[in-house]
Amino acid sequence: MPIALSPPTRPQNGLTKFTNCRLLRGDKLVDEDLWVSSVSGKVIHSQASFYDELVLPDKTINLGGRIVAPGMIECQLNGAFGFNFSTLLDDMSQYGKKVKEVNRLLVQTGVTSYLPTITSQRPELYQKALPHLGPSGRNRVAEDGAESLGAHCEGPFLSPSKNGVHNVDVMREAHTFADLEECYGAENLNASGEDGVIPVKMVTAAPERGQMMSLIPELRSKGIIYSIGHSEATYEDASAAVGKGATMITHLFNAMRPLHHRNPGIFGVLGIAESQERPFFGIISDGIHLHPTTIKIAFNAHPDGFILVTDAMHLVGLPDGAYPWTNGEKMCNIVKKGSTLMLENSDTIAGSSITLIECVNNFLRWTGSSIPLALKAVTSTPAAMLGLEGVKGSLEPGADADLVIFSEESVDGSSQLAVDEVWKFGTRIMT
Amino acid sequence: MRLIIRDDAEASSAYVAQYVVDRIKAFNPSPQNPFVLGLPTGSSPLIVYRMLVEKYKAGHISFENVVTFNMDEYVGIPRDHPESYHSFMWKHFFSHVNIHPSNVHILNGNAPNLEAECIAYEEAIRAVGGIDLFLAGIGEDGHIAFNEPGSSLASRTRVKTLAYDTILANSRFFDNDVNKVPRMALTVGVQTVLEAREVVVIILGQRKSLALQRCIEQGVNHMWTLSSLQLHPHPMIVVDEDATAELQVKTVKYFKSIEKVALEQGFEQILPSKVRTGNAASVPKTHVDEVSSPTILAPQPTTSRLLRATPATEYPVRSVSPELVPDRMASRIPEPALNNRLTPNPDEQVLRPAGIAA
Repeated sequence: MPIALSPPTRPQNGLTKFTNCRLLRGDKLVDEDLWVSSVSGKVIHSQASFYDELVLPDKTINLGGRIVAPGMIECQLNGAFGFNFSTLLDDMSQYGKKVKEVNRLLVQTGVTSYLPTITSQRPELYQKALPHLGPSGRNRVAEDGAESLGAHCEGPFLSPSKNGVHNVDVMREAHTFADLEECYGAENLNASGEDGVIPVKMVTAAPERGQMMSLIPELRSKGIIYSIGHSEATYEDASAAVGKGATMITHLFNAMRPLHHRNPGIFGVLGIAESQERPFFGIISDGIHLHPTTIKIAFNAHPDGFILVTDAMHLVGLPDGAYPWTNGEKMCNIVKKGSTLMLENSDTIAGSSITLIECVNNFLRWTGSSIPLALKAVTSTPAAMLGLEGVKGSLEPGADADLVIFSEESVDGSSQLAVDEVWKFGTRIMT
Repeated sequence: MRLIIRDDAEASSAYVAQYVVDRIKAFNPSPQNPFVLGLPTGSSPLIVYRMLVEKYKAGHISFENVVTFNMDEYVGIPRDHPESYHSFMWKHFFSHVNIHPSNVHILNGNAPNLEAECIAYEEAIRAVGGIDLFLAGIGEDGHIAFNEPGSSLASRTRVKTLAYDTILANSRFFDNDVNKVPRMALTVGVQTVLEAREVVVIILGQRKSLALQRCIEQGVNHMWTLSSLQLHPHPMIVVDEDATAELQVKTVKYFKSIEKVALEQGFEQILPSKVRTGNAASVPKTHVDEVSSPTILAPQPTTSRLLRATPATEYPVRSVSPELVPDRMASRIPEPALNNRLTPNPDEQVLRPAGIAA
């Protein structure tokens, strides 16, 4: 150990320096130090603080060559640790407490920010639940755990024929923006109060249903991301939606028309020229939703848009078994076995219960991709999709100091990552 | 002059790094009596920095009580520009060791008043009691710091316009575009370097062999500012074999033999203990026969004697011309004394009109 690391006489400044580590920067892992502040909760420009503020870090942490990456960002999480976000509680004040509990547990998995996702439900549920799911990182309290970046409403403006496990009976069509407000609640789609926070961050809807196509620009103008999904859209429909401002595709390949060589469907929009706007897309790499080769094809089609998502149900984090579930209409059982979820007595996939780091490891194993490219799909790419470049999913100075420290091991010739430590706003919250 | 020759860049740098570490340790610095280290930038000292960092990380040395002064900095590029010397020092040295930022001094090339910045820098060096060891590199034209050929050997910290050679050489750091290389820099002067209690220069590679030859085998010359080191009482130049290409075989052999003999006799070519330990009170008193070893007793830079007549110690260096005081020609004529009248014999004057009348 270096001698005289931090003499006790020096005033504390909340700075931590990571050294002997590999930082995820772009497509590379670079040997550099990283300074973070628990006071501002941000990554620090170390050279400027040294010369301007004349400070040295309180703590220097030697990571022994391990990897420091931005905290993972999950764009589609239906619930976790036994709590389903699409749940109506008798006492909705309990809902907020449950969400906070999930946040504290979820962060242990390396997910430092996420979009809590509500599947197709009746308007009542959206209007009661969404206020609890809006952006939660305003106070920058590390101990709160994972931070919601805003809710993801997956439905109910979907195609009934591509419903997956969503309840067909609650699906509806929108013809005007008022129809959206009537379903989600106007206060959840518009900036309210002085801080101007909108609870909803992303809406998945089928562009061909009702007048959805014409509503995309208005959603976008409010800063809400429109994602194509659960849709019968043809290539032409999807291209038109992208032209209107759709920037995301929800779980590509699942709940949409497959790629056909004469009509490539939604997937086709990834094939257009690099010079034109191409949407980001979510991929569930759990080994059940998609064949590994399909994942690699999608990745190669548009690497910069590739986002790994789990679409995990609330059963993630619970032991195997049959769990009762309702899609808002009828009760049925979901059988959890490992990370797979099936509707009981059927071969319908009922979401997954995989964690995001398992998705990353699957991707590494199946595609032989490099670690930086795999981590990009859960850090800087989703941040770019959410318009949070340089704030989340980044180690550049000024970004939020949400970090995961990974150790790397080689299993059967491919790299696998394990979450060693999680830091939120410059403070270690999991070791 | 000590000239240490090692086989390659790695070995030469290792020698310098170990030497610096040994010097700091022997000095036993404390907050009250810090070790003051002058530092260079450039490609030559890169390996030395790497090794110093390794030694720090291995726990062999602490920079807690080390005060540093850098030689130079460009004028007019942002401080955090990747090619600024602030960035160089941060990237290669300061970010890896436990040196405290308040002990770090680098000239500010963006200071509103560059002249005042230079004067303050000299003042800061004086305030900590002078530099104990100045580590340096040289350019192909033999410049030390940015003291380009033709710099006054009595120069102090000042604004310097870079020589075209230096701009060309440094353009490799600025996308090979000479137009992007800053034209000016702030640099410590030759005299500032010579006033350090010890100067250690590392010179690597054949490209610099001509400069080494000029500085060692020829006279003191402002066209090769490193040659001014001949006037310093404790200079040391560490080189690799490539850098000796232009030296005479005799010269190389001579300096190698000095080192060999010194080793055989069981003593290193070390400094007097007073220089080694600075102002520490715990220096053991050694009684030396003053007559036989005057330089050891009172190490005085020769230049301070040679150059004392010049106003080198003051900045800015200007000849003194007297103030103009406007006056009248009449005022230069001495005032007549009243008791000494212009007419010598007043009596005769009285008599004369009388005589005329008579």
